[in-house]
Amino acid sequence: MTFRQFAFRNVTRNMRLYTAYFLSSMFTVMVFFTFSIFAYHPVLSGDNIQSSAALALSVSKWVIYVFSFFFVLYSMSAFLQSRKREFGLMMMHGMTVRQLRRMIFLENMIVGSGATLSGIGLGVIFAKGILLAGENVLALNEPLQFYFPFKAIVLTLISFLLLFVLISLFISTVLRSGKLITLIHSNRQPKPEPKASLLLSLLVVTLLGISYFLSLRASGLSVVLLLAPVVIMVSIGTYLLFTQLSVYLIRKLKACEQLFWRRTNMLLLSDLAYRMKDNARSFFLVAIISTVSFSAIGALYGFQSMINGALTQKNPYLFTYQSLDGDSKAQAHIQLIDESLGRAGIAAEKTGLELNYYKAMEGSRTLVLVKQSEYNHVAELLGLNPIRLTAGKAAVVDFGLSREGEEMLNQPVELQSGIVIEADQAIVSWAVRGVSGYYVVPDEWIGKLGQPLKVSRYYAWHGAVGQPGAEKAGAKLTNELPYDEQYTFYALEYLTSKTNDGFGPVMFIGFFVGIVFFVSAGSFLYFRLYSDLDEDKQKFRAISKLGLSDKELRRILNRQLSLLFFAPIVVALIHGAVALTALSHMFQYSIFRESLLVLGLFFVIQVIYFFIVRLFYTRQIRSALAG
Amino acid sequence: MLEVKKVSKIYEGNVAYRALTDIDLTIAAGEFVGIMGPSGSGKTTLLNLIATVDVPTTGSIRIDNKDTGKLDKNELAVFRRRELGFVFQDFNLLNTLTVEENIVLPLTLDGIRVSEMKHKAREIAGKLGISAIMKKRTYEISGGQAQRTAIARAMIHSPKLLLADEPTGNLDSKAARDVMDLLETLNREQSATMMLVTHDAVAASYCHRVVFIKDGRFYTEIYCGDNRQSFFQKIIDTLSLLGGYSHDIPPVRIP
Repeated sequence: MTFRQFAFRNVTRNMRLYTAYFLSSMFTVMVFFTFSIFAYHPVLSGDNIQSSAALALSVSKWVIYVFSFFFVLYSMSAFLQSRKREFGLMMMHGMTVRQLRRMIFLENMIVGSGATLSGIGLGVIFAKGILLAGENVLALNEPLQFYFPFKAIVLTLISFLLLFVLISLFISTVLRSGKLITLIHSNRQPKPEPKASLLLSLLVVTLLGISYFLSLRASGLSVVLLLAPVVIMVSIGTYLLFTQLSVYLIRKLKACEQLFWRRTNMLLLSDLAYRMKDNARSFFLVAIISTVSFSAIGALYGFQSMINGALTQKNPYLFTYQSLDGDSKAQAHIQLIDESLGRAGIAAEKTGLELNYYKAMEGSRTLVLVKQSEYNHVAELLGLNPIRLTAGKAAVVDFGLSREGEEMLNQPVELQSGIVIEADQAIVSWAVRGVSGYYVVPDEWIGKLGQPLKVSRYYAWHGAVGQPGAEKAGAKLTNELPYDEQYTFYALEYLTSKTNDGFGPVMFIGFFVGIVFFVSAGSFLYFRLYSDLDEDKQKFRAISKLGLSDKELRRILNRQLSLLFFAPIVVALIHGAVALTALSHMFQYSIFRESLLVLGLFFVIQVIYFFIVRLFYTRQIRSALAG
Repeated sequence: MLEVKKVSKIYEGNVAYRALTDIDLTIAAGEFVGIMGPSGSGKTTLLNLIATVDVPTTGSIRIDNKDTGKLDKNELAVFRRRELGFVFQDFNLLNTLTVEENIVLPLTLDGIRVSEMKHKAREIAGKLGISAIMKKRTYEISGGQAQRTAIARAMIHSPKLLLADEPTGNLDSKAARDVMDLLETLNREQSATMMLVTHDAVAASYCHRVVFIKDGRFYTEIYCGDNRQSFFQKIIDTLSLLGGYSHDIPPVRIP
């Protein structure tokens, strides 16, 4: 056995320790490789619209790379922690520190290059399938031919080998071997419980409370402004939750002997307290990483269904056309649209209203006024609630995200004609596309106000969504009526399909990035569990001598594992649910169903993972008791 | 061969604890010495100091005329793998390696040629009667076999000094006797110097000389002479004097 064989055997015969780490590294490499296959595909890398998808893929590929850098760094140092005693033993038999470093370097390189090669290998095997799937997901017009992804292979190979070499070098050079005697006795020394302070525990409640409150109360664009402070507060709060509040609670529970000394509670709680320091860090990491992955996937899925839903259900105008003042071609354009619709055989009802612009008495403000009867006619067509005005008051209406109107509520404005307009209700409505903060006033007011500054005509064609030819007609009309300051033209189905096409790559990327995060969280949990296995075996062997029935053993293990698997995930689920709720407030669109689906799916995966791991873990402990 | 001079060890901590006080011990080449004493008397501390795993607070330890306190970390590592051999109570075999690989570990670290390692491993395994289990993994063998593997690992590089910490502590009486017979044979045939820390009076009776320490100080020493039976009796007597409690003595009888 040479030194190199020695290092090799340390890895291959310890595969159980490295399984989860290996698999999730491999998966990360595979996703990186897949993104590269697309990014370097001849069809995508050309100079056309689709190159934006290739750019997005390239960028997110490097995001994954940076993440895996930290993932590998953390995992490797965790492995070293768990093997201290083994290192002590080797040093006792005369291993020099240099040799120890060399061994760690070799071991890490074996795992790392194994993961890189098998990740690329799997990627190549599935390349054809991935390209086929990509064709649909990325909504490409040209088929993606299979090509041998030479460039992608080289890039992935070099990037990840470099990553593993750098981290292995770093880890092995900063390794402080410490005193031999402490190494040898390292598994016998209990780690001190982290200190728990009441003040910091209360801070957890405050931080998370404020963050949740702010997120849930926020509406419109303020969500974006709150994002950074809330993320920071939640991160600190979550960290303190696991390092302070949980320790504090466990201490309190332990102090209550009525509870602590009841049956198996003592074993469970004392064990929790004993491992709290290790657990706290893993719990925090798993919770944060899972939150990111839940929120990202949930948000993307929500976005997509929102775009489809918002566009087609809540705004079912097939076409809209708004002429701004001075558009001499308005009549010709309207005729053109009508003719095109007729030719394409699209059934649509034309409706419209007038937007009247008036100058305010003071300042340069302009107000937009719409007659109540015209608005209600359009609203009725859409199935929206008609506006009922209080005598002498107006209403402000907003479209979509903007909340201009809300700010104008209850603020009387005097127009140049001397009439004072004040709104006593604010409404969010899709009735007039693309216009926010207009007043709906009684019909007779318009006559009293005299000549408006300018009048803008708004036309809408309302009809069933999904009529054949609507998308094509939309594309044609959009071409014939290009962007101009004098008018705006909007073809729903054409734009929806364009947006969806643009969204395909984002969904595709987001989904994979999210999964990479989730898989690595699973790997952290697995490692946490595995490093406790030997201790658990010893503990249960001792307890079983005192008399522990099989049922009791199962109950303790069940609780211990559930806590490990679900405490961080439940925290992440709550964080994710709050984040998604804030998002849905921002867009005034309920993504409850989508959030529930995504979060529920992740939870189910976690439950399955839990059952599999519990099966193996219980079997391991039982065999240790029998033997 | 081994010279321990005025060695004291104080553990710093919240409460400073004096584990050893002014210990002097000399072991000649080829000698087989046992260290005995009640629990907490400092036996294992002394062994750790000699094994260069720990450093004495005051005093010096010379092995083969080398002051171990003056060697740096790397020199110590090389010194340990060439000059010392270790046997532990809980065997401390590496689970990832087979029996054979465990045995050749010190040679592997020294970068010896594979053919030479094979040859040496075969030789020592033959002597210790573990040739049949060379390809087995550590969890597939019994306690006695594991301890013999550990002895093989400690002896394969013909160390100047073999240190054993309770080598029979985890074994049944039959396996314990086999292991002690083995150590005695190795001592006689290879004239290996050995030092043994033990609780077990039977194991101690295989030694040429037994040194007793109590509360970290030298207490007395007795020599074997010709008859092991009477040596065993003397050890028992000394132990009962030493501890003052009869139940400190393990309930074993010489067969």
